[in-house]
Amino acid sequence: MQSHDHHGQDMSHASTSHGGDHHSHGGTGTYIMVFLALCALTTVSIFTTLTWWREQVPDSVSWAIMMVVSCMKALLVILFFMHLLWEANWKWVLTVPAACMSLFLVLMLIPDIGLRTRNYSEERWSAAAYPSPVKVSHAEHTEEDDHKSHDGSSGQGSDGAHGHDSPPRQESGH
Amino acid sequence: MSASHDLHHGHLKLQYEPCLPIPNGKVCLWLFLSTEIMFFAGLIGTYIVIRFGAPTGSWPRPEAVHLVEIIGAFNTFVLICSSVTIVLALEAAKKNAAESAKRWMWLTFFLGCTFLGVKAFEYKSKFAHGIYPQMPHSLIYEKPDVNYSAAVRTTLQDKSNQLSKEKTELGEAFHRDSELEQCQTMLVGMVKWSDLASVRAETSVEQHAAYENMAHVVYPAGSGAGHGMPTDDIANERKIRIKELEAVQTRKAGLLAEKKAADDKGQPVPLVDAELKTSEESDALLQARIKFLDLCSSSEAEEGLNHKFENEGTWLTLPMMIPSGNMWASTYFLLTGFHAIHVIVGLILFAYILPLRLDSKKAHLLENSGLYWHFVDLVWIFLFPLLYLF
Repeated sequence: MQSHDHHGQDMSHASTSHGGDHHSHGGTGTYIMVFLALCALTTVSIFTTLTWWREQVPDSVSWAIMMVVSCMKALLVILFFMHLLWEANWKWVLTVPAACMSLFLVLMLIPDIGLRTRNYSEERWSAAAYPSPVKVSHAEHTEEDDHKSHDGSSGQGSDGAHGHDSPPRQESGH
Repeated sequence: MSASHDLHHGHLKLQYEPCLPIPNGKVCLWLFLSTEIMFFAGLIGTYIVIRFGAPTGSWPRPEAVHLVEIIGAFNTFVLICSSVTIVLALEAAKKNAAESAKRWMWLTFFLGCTFLGVKAFEYKSKFAHGIYPQMPHSLIYEKPDVNYSAAVRTTLQDKSNQLSKEKTELGEAFHRDSELEQCQTMLVGMVKWSDLASVRAETSVEQHAAYENMAHVVYPAGSGAGHGMPTDDIANERKIRIKELEAVQTRKAGLLAEKKAADDKGQPVPLVDAELKTSEESDALLQARIKFLDLCSSSEAEEGLNHKFENEGTWLTLPMMIPSGNMWASTYFLLTGFHAIHVIVGLILFAYILPLRLDSKKAHLLENSGLYWHFVDLVWIFLFPLLYLF
């Protein structure tokens, strides 16, 4: 127990003596730069929600941009604020499995939940959330049209179910 | 070798070697963080999958659920700032500048509190608009159907009963007559009218349309439209209803004359009586409908009846039709709620650290709580675009 405590102190001493050279790979200047980069990236993602941007760029592209921006921000925070850039190789042992597991978790949900409406019966469609009759983006339109034509070719049942909701949608669309 | 053996009374001298070149506390914290990564990845991943798997176009727009992007952006900024201040506190502590470290920590604590305050304000505005994650309080309906119509009717009847009771109690002092009248107008001219239209509908599309009109008048933002019933539509319908009303009234006058003539002769006329009854009913219904159309055509009702009532001091909030609104509320409150709990835990950590002298001996405490705090920031970095901007 005693030797453990002693060692703990050693470690903190080690890290403080190390703190002296931290200026080479940390330092206020770096943190301010990272802070400015984070602010700039946040502005970029807000920028993609402006009306005139939305009119010209499909939503899916904006979403992709926002996710890339988020990943970049996350990387900046992890690498600089959480000091992972300057850590030894142990960092891979912890972060890589955790990242793989979380990605896997999401991918596992896609067939059952993400694509749940693919196999909706007519009865299930009648209990599903009502689609909004007013479309905001052009991108959703084309996606929806694709989906419809696909349904038409694949099965009568689901197409009929779509018919419940499609007339008001089409009216507002054209 | 044997000498050293003797020195240590036959025991081997063992040196403690950590398996990782970092302090134990940091190892534990990183292990904890890796479980946290999976926890939030599960929550965020589920949200993404639910949101993009929802029937096309049914996920509510931010304005439909009273999400204000700029408030979310402000909170993002607050958390980024707090991440910088805590990292500067650590730098100061490593340089043994305890005073400076404490100042940065206080600033971090203050920023964390600001984030929670803003979050509480946001929650409050959701609750005020009837957006709750669960039923008794939630006023969200996902489809314009009989259930929705029944909920609107119950709300209106309750309000109307309450106002009538007040009226009998207060007598002369009662001055909410216009509210009572509006309730009754809506009960007949909106709810009953839509119910009848839906009963008369021949196809399910028409049936939906009847209730959709009602939902649209109450809360147009819910289905993605900025405005309620267009003024042209109201004017057109009003013209039609007035014509119908005139026809009904002419017929009624004729029937009354017929009945009078029959009464003079002392003959019972059951057919005339029955028709008179239906024409009286349609007279009342049409009058209520015209009154309701007048209610909708006022400029205050342009953004929906709920908006109008809100401007009149929120004396009534009708159930709203927001497609996928309940799913939205569940995911929103779950994600932001768990994040807020993490922020609170961070603040408790800071409250523990702040009274200490933050010199280089305490740098490891700052480093560990800092790692946790950066993780909280990291989660928000993903939550902000996903919840506010998508």
